[in-house]
Amino acid sequence: MEAFTDGLFLVLQWKAFSLMILGMGLGFCVGLLPGIGGAATLALMIPFVFKMSPVEAFAFLLGMHSVAATTGDITSILFGVPGEGLSAATVVDGYPMAKRGEAGRALGAALMSSLVGALIGALTLAVAIPIVRPLVLTFGSPELFMLSVIGIACITSLSGLSLRAQLRGFAMGLFGLLLSTIGQERQSGSLRFDMGLMYLWEGLDLVPVLVGIFAIPELVDLAVRGTSIAGDKPAGNLSSGVMEGIKDTFRHFWLVFRCSAVGVFVGIMPGAGGGVAQWMAYAHAVQSAKDAKEREGFGKGDVRGVLGPGAANNSKEGGDLIPTIAFGVPGSGAMAILLGAFMIMGLVPGPDMLTKHLTVTYSMVWTLVIANIITVLLSLMVLNHLAKLTYIRGGFIIPFVLLLVFVGSYTANNQILDLIVTFCFGLLGYIMVRLGWPRPPLVLGFVLGKLVETYLFISVARYGFSWLSQPLVLLLIALMVVVIVYPFVREKPAWAGGGD
Amino acid sequence: MHRRGNFLFSVFLILVAGYAALSASQWSFKAGFFPLVTSIPLLILVMLNLVLEFVGGTEKASGPAVEAEFTNDVPADVARRRVIETFSWIAGFIALVFLVGFPAAVPLFLFSYLAIQSRVGWLLSVSLTATTWGFFYFLFQRLLNLQFEAGVIPTWMGW
Repeated sequence: MEAFTDGLFLVLQWKAFSLMILGMGLGFCVGLLPGIGGAATLALMIPFVFKMSPVEAFAFLLGMHSVAATTGDITSILFGVPGEGLSAATVVDGYPMAKRGEAGRALGAALMSSLVGALIGALTLAVAIPIVRPLVLTFGSPELFMLSVIGIACITSLSGLSLRAQLRGFAMGLFGLLLSTIGQERQSGSLRFDMGLMYLWEGLDLVPVLVGIFAIPELVDLAVRGTSIAGDKPAGNLSSGVMEGIKDTFRHFWLVFRCSAVGVFVGIMPGAGGGVAQWMAYAHAVQSAKDAKEREGFGKGDVRGVLGPGAANNSKEGGDLIPTIAFGVPGSGAMAILLGAFMIMGLVPGPDMLTKHLTVTYSMVWTLVIANIITVLLSLMVLNHLAKLTYIRGGFIIPFVLLLVFVGSYTANNQILDLIVTFCFGLLGYIMVRLGWPRPPLVLGFVLGKLVETYLFISVARYGFSWLSQPLVLLLIALMVVVIVYPFVREKPAWAGGGD
Repeated sequence: MHRRGNFLFSVFLILVAGYAALSASQWSFKAGFFPLVTSIPLLILVMLNLVLEFVGGTEKASGPAVEAEFTNDVPADVARRRVIETFSWIAGFIALVFLVGFPAAVPLFLFSYLAIQSRVGWLLSVSLTATTWGFFYFLFQRLLNLQFEAGVIPTWMGW
């Protein structure tokens, strides 16, 4: 208990607190820029922490990282441009809300659910470190492979309730997995589908693919409509819209809580990939709807589709930190970089962090809490002005957002081919939406592809195909079947009569 | 139109999956295993979808799908023209980056788009372009120190 309060006082010391505010300012700007994600900024800022104490360094780095996760949602909602890879799920319902003139409500909901998610994540971090060890150790490659596949199945199951819609969803998930195999294969070093281009040796970068497939189709549609993002929808009272979004968080608190738990769970699993947390939470939000009528708003601007991913996005940060601190096993790319900061500070993740350096560990918990509270309070003050952007004529907005998109994409490899990849995926995304092929399974398949391949390869190399009969794997397979079949069973009266 | 588009897109996916499966079958087990595991089911699913597209009649009761919906309020010919225009602007921007480099392409593109496509007044176009370019220069070039490739024209001219 003493370490817990000491951790708070350490963060509130003027130097640590000032550095946290500085980090938050940087994180806010970075979160708004597509492409330059929290992980990249953490890497850029690592050299600046050499002369800081551990508490100051983590206040600075974690303050920046947690805020970047929150503000990424802002561009997702306002322009349909994911602020970073993890914010992509917020686009699906957040942007349609902005198009409907409810940007304020969507932003209020995203920020408040992010805050609740962050608090739940931090609380879990505070109490769970000694408890989660057996859970983490239970999950080997076969289980992690199945967990990733469940993530893809979750989002694929939302492609529609006809056989053809499901076929298209699964096909897109597989297409995403196939795209992730471009480049050098990790085990043997062989080059695959590189088309003789050195650019493809490292594979397709996530940022050009993501902003291309989500942002460009939306910008083209905005140009086609020839109006502002919100069109001719009445602006209403933006302040009350923001308040409505905040109230939505508490109206659907149980959903926000469950989605936060999904985020924490995915964060705890080392290597499960943060990208899956938002999508799984989104899928959970959709599947929690009681009937077809309740579900039909998803994808067209349902606030629950913003609350779920918003909560998971930030609760994941607390979950991510658990294996990083407790075992030195980073749960994501950003945590791997943070692990570098541990080394610079002379701290060794593991039992020492729970005994000798427990105060530092709790200072990290407090940083997550304080940084998120301040961010949300400050953001709420400017949300009204941000929401007004959706009423500016499309002709003004499009060139600026396009620049943002292409600068973000360019930062992937600093090559013109990044821009060409963005363009190609923009075209692909537009065609897919027009023809009714879902983009989310493709994106999630692509995000998780390398992990899925690695886990599958290790599982087969180590156990042959006997891993398929391991009890936990069987349980996860059953869960996957439930995820796929449940929507059909629940909606039976709706589709049985008129399906394919 | 929708049906023909679906047919063409399915054919595209079949060609991609077929090429991937064929290539992967010639690689070592380590390199080829995962592409085969993904491309063969992809091939089967898309072919099945294609068959259903032709023999299954009109798709009914697909239920709510989680995906964006684009506008259908604009006449088809106007919409088609605007789609082509926007993709042409994007392609033009990439061509500009290739020719003159990113830092010079930013103001050129912004000014042209605002003045020509959005029909914004010259004075406002110039001031918006100058402000944005200043922001771009200080944030990306000075503060974040991002390295931008030089365009072929400056390289050719020896600048």
